[in-house]
Amino acid sequence: METSLRHQRNAEKLKRKMRIDKAFKYLFFLAALLSGSCILLIVLFILIKGIQPFLPGYRYGQMDLLQFLFGTMWRQDQAVYGVGYIVINTLISAFGALLLSFPISVLTALFIAKIAPRKLSAMLSTVVELLASIPSVVYGVFAAGMIVKLVKWLASLWGISTAGGSSLLAVILLLAIMIFPTITSMAVTAIQAVDHELELGSLALGATKTQTNFKVVLKSAKSGIFAGAILGLGRAFGEATAVSMVAGNKLFGPTFDLFDITRTLTSTMLAGLKETTGLDYDIRFSVGIVLMAVILVSNLILNAVKEKVGNHG
Amino acid sequence: MENCFEIENLNLYYGEKQALKNLNLSIRKNCVTALIGPSGCGKSTFLRCLNRMNDLIEGCRIEGKIMIQGVDIYDPKTNVVDLRTKVGMVFQRPNPFPMSIFENVAYGPRCQGIKDRRILKEIVENSLKQAALYEEVHDRLHESAMGLSGGQQQRLCIARAIAMEPEVILMDEPTSALDPIATSKIEELIEELKKSYSIIIVTHSMQQASRVSDDTAFFLLGEIVEMDTTRMIFNQPKDKRTEDYITGRFG
Repeated sequence: METSLRHQRNAEKLKRKMRIDKAFKYLFFLAALLSGSCILLIVLFILIKGIQPFLPGYRYGQMDLLQFLFGTMWRQDQAVYGVGYIVINTLISAFGALLLSFPISVLTALFIAKIAPRKLSAMLSTVVELLASIPSVVYGVFAAGMIVKLVKWLASLWGISTAGGSSLLAVILLLAIMIFPTITSMAVTAIQAVDHELELGSLALGATKTQTNFKVVLKSAKSGIFAGAILGLGRAFGEATAVSMVAGNKLFGPTFDLFDITRTLTSTMLAGLKETTGLDYDIRFSVGIVLMAVILVSNLILNAVKEKVGNHG
Repeated sequence: MENCFEIENLNLYYGEKQALKNLNLSIRKNCVTALIGPSGCGKSTFLRCLNRMNDLIEGCRIEGKIMIQGVDIYDPKTNVVDLRTKVGMVFQRPNPFPMSIFENVAYGPRCQGIKDRRILKEIVENSLKQAALYEEVHDRLHESAMGLSGGQQQRLCIARAIAMEPEVILMDEPTSALDPIATSKIEELIEELKKSYSIIIVTHSMQQASRVSDDTAFFLLGEIVEMDTTRMIFNQPKDKRTEDYITGRFG
């Protein structure tokens, strides 16, 4: 029979099939290469641009690298560019936001994944997703209009006057809200992936639901929850627009006072970028290198911690 | 001989579907009772009634009485958390917690509020010894339980259950995920454990039921067709369906 599958098979068709298979292999490789080279290009570009001010023969006058890295003042009017205190400010605001957001996120995730009735859980998941999709500039205006007022009021309770509420505390609160959906949704996924049998095993030993949730579910999900924290921290480090709207951009530091204004690496890069030229423009690329290094080192450290605490899972 | 469970007119429904039909039986203390029957006959469902694990399933409804030490476990006054400390359970697939061996066994006592390190250590060692695992793991109690073999993990789960000093241990096909050597170790252990505990075991293996149990109940379509001593069930079954099943004609 002509229509039977046996007669349909022949060498010509097989050859074509293998050719298509091969072509697709190259297509996938090409796609991977393209996205991979984008990252490489960006890093290279920033590196080359950012390193310029520290090379001899730089056309606006060579900068001192050590003064740049460890300096505690940033004044473009005097051409003093010290990024040291800004790094500390950035670390304080990012980790402060994480400290505030992490427990709330994990408890919310536990509620969504394990405790809430199905309908409420679906509703809350949607809310978290919506929070994640709000553009950062919208968070920024919210912070500039609301959080800043809250901080100002809080400060006035202690009789402290602030720069209209722009402060380290405002940055921390804003970032905490912004990274909340990131950590929560990662934690929900991690908690949902915990083997149900482990929960049953715990309940069968006479543990209460709460004991089971904290001692078994969270413990089993900790690796994924930690990954969420790292992702959230990355967002806190990298957020520029919204942070710039409430940071206040202090000229020296570091800032340890919650009600004082602060300056982060991102707000430094962004502030006045379009109105400047020369060294003041180029130096922002150097700040970019520092930011990438800070994020890289923080991630490496946190990953090492994660390996250490997650070794039973 | 004393009974550990008395079950009267037990009916169980999943939504509209009736999964257990009017069960009446007694389970003897310090004996091994095997529950056998083809897949979907309700034997595991019945087992999970005994420590109220079915409470966790939505749409599951139970009628009738299950008495332990003169108290109905489905009485509104019965505390389910307390019940589960009296009725331990070992699952089909070994499910150790992702913690150290020590912490796995200490988990139950800790949940009861025992904090004294010395007491916990004693409980852990005794439980592991009773579960015939101590010799194999005594030098790595603080290493992860996930590094143990499947058979060791299952014995750890038994140790975990023993640590609560329950009256009864329920076992839901405890060896179905294990190789023959690990299986025979668990079977030897069951023989040893029945001196101190009543054991109810669901099994798919006729040989296992005949090897380890004193009594056997044969389930079919949510009913108990026949329950008797294991010797009677396997040598002189009264019901034709029991005979057909144990001789391998269906199932």
